[in-house]
Amino acid sequence: MSRSRRFSALSTRLLVAGLGAVLVLFILGPLLRLLFLASPQSLAEALRDRELSQSIALTVFTATAATLLGAVLGIPLAYALARSAFPGRRLVQSLVDLPVVIPHPVAGIALLLFLGRRSPVGGALAQLGLDIVSHVPGIVAAMLFVSVPLIVSGAREAFASIDPRLERVARTLGDTGWQAFRRITLPLAGRSLLAAGMLAWARSVSEFGSIVIVTYNPKVASVLIYDRFTAFGLPAAVPAAVILLLLALVVFLVIRWLQPAEPS
Amino acid sequence: MIRVEGLRLRAGTFELRDISFEVAAGGYALILGPTGSGKTTLLEAIAGHAPLLEGRVTLRDQDVTQWAPERRGLGIVYQQYHLFPHLTVRANLGYGLQQSALSLDERRARVEDLANRLGIAGLLDRGVARLSGGEQQRVALGRALAPRPSILLLDEPFAAVDPATRRGLRRELRALHEQEGITTLQVTHDFDDALRLGDWVAVLSEGRIAQAGTPEEVFRYPNSAGVAYFVGAGNVFAGNVRRTGPAAGEPARFPAQFQSDNLVLDVLAEREGPAHAVIRPEDIFLSREAHPSSARNRLVGRVVRLERLGPSVQVHLDIGRPLIAAITTASAEGMALKPGDRIEASFKAMAVRLV
Repeated sequence: MSRSRRFSALSTRLLVAGLGAVLVLFILGPLLRLLFLASPQSLAEALRDRELSQSIALTVFTATAATLLGAVLGIPLAYALARSAFPGRRLVQSLVDLPVVIPHPVAGIALLLFLGRRSPVGGALAQLGLDIVSHVPGIVAAMLFVSVPLIVSGAREAFASIDPRLERVARTLGDTGWQAFRRITLPLAGRSLLAAGMLAWARSVSEFGSIVIVTYNPKVASVLIYDRFTAFGLPAAVPAAVILLLLALVVFLVIRWLQPAEPS
Repeated sequence: MIRVEGLRLRAGTFELRDISFEVAAGGYALILGPTGSGKTTLLEAIAGHAPLLEGRVTLRDQDVTQWAPERRGLGIVYQQYHLFPHLTVRANLGYGLQQSALSLDERRARVEDLANRLGIAGLLDRGVARLSGGEQQRVALGRALAPRPSILLLDEPFAAVDPATRRGLRRELRALHEQEGITTLQVTHDFDDALRLGDWVAVLSEGRIAQAGTPEEVFRYPNSAGVAYFVGAGNVFAGNVRRTGPAAGEPARFPAQFQSDNLVLDVLAEREGPAHAVIRPEDIFLSREAHPSSARNRLVGRVVRLERLGPSVQVHLDIGRPLIAAITTASAEGMALKPGDRIEASFKAMAVRLV
């Protein structure tokens, strides 16, 4: 009896290890294959490719803009969601998470309809001289749409993990609400907020489906890679893909470093 | 001075209602209540952190009901201390001085003076994460006292420290209170705090103040079974009073029998009918043999366990139901009591308080 139980414990462990190994290989395999496929010469060439470097610069710029905009719009809301019980709080929370479940081309089409020159909103913005669709702001809009849920949920969790009584103590010690937020909550939430921002930034950099519909040109990196793949085939797409992959890996390491260590 | 009038507020899933009391300037008052009775919320309402549904809060003769917390000039110490985890002990202590008119040197002097008096001078440049419970408690107290508030609110300040530390802290707190003359309002679930610290105590029960008065009054004369259970009056039995003789005295009381299932006690009562009988553990006399005495009530039972509480020993008896007697450590040793011993518990009819 005890022997068979020991045997089944061992076989369960082997099964879990086997399944886990398949999954890890499934993630690592394609990425390693891609990394090693690109020859050093083709990478050097890619780095000298003006269209590619411009497109990466555009991607970094728009993703940064979308993240900052998302932080400005999302952090106060996240704080309210974490701290106050206002009517409709659950509804607002669900709505903010909605973009996560919407297929990205669908998001792109919806943004196109909402922000295009013929829509009331897009038309009004165009009157003010702000063209969105088929322009850089369209990229930022699409990135914001898909990445802002990450900022709001990350910031909300960060704020919720900080005991509101810390701010209350600071208030009785003479701080205004804003001072208590700035001196107590913000420093304590800082790393988590930064991690949420990096995650949103990475999400923006990797966005393709909605951007390709809202603003095909100028091309962000993911659109450029797709464009080269369809026009010139795999060899033309690989060096650009490798460069974007390396960029993503750097961001990934930064996020891991920012996230608080798991309690052991 | 703290005055609270007709307070109504939401505390979790229930409401506190009709909360009114006043703590004189320099006084030390306690609000007693079981865990989850809304004590902390009441303190937060006075501090301006919890919205009032009704009522007024007056501090130092000023109506502060609409004031923001930072204008109320009070300090608060929470049960879990809530030290600022990203700051050193020194920065925690000095936090409330940032807004003050003091010079940097004066601030440093105030922090160091407090740290000396609280015995944490050696910890000033440490982070707060690795401090012991007692040390954290002292930092939290010092942080609240640093800006010299005229009012101090304490939320279960001793709940999270060991009994020895608790006794020391109680003494220090009482001394600090007397030196600084701060009007202090403490909430606690521990009646010992009330007996040792407070001039005045109110018992919170089911969202209202069930009883208020000096700690001795509340302890000796609980006005309801709820209060009696809560203040640790020890022995509370539900039953029925039946008159056995003529009334005498002022207020008129008559000899009666109090019956609770098979337990029958001789008592002095003011009225017949359903009642709770409260017997203070200190009023119960224990002896090994039947003892000639004037005590009318004699119950025989067994010792279940002994619990040492400072200078007294609580003897938990089984007399067919639990009964707690408190005797001095000396007499417990003299009698060499141990669990399983057969013993007689006796107490006077006068010792049974009917509520």
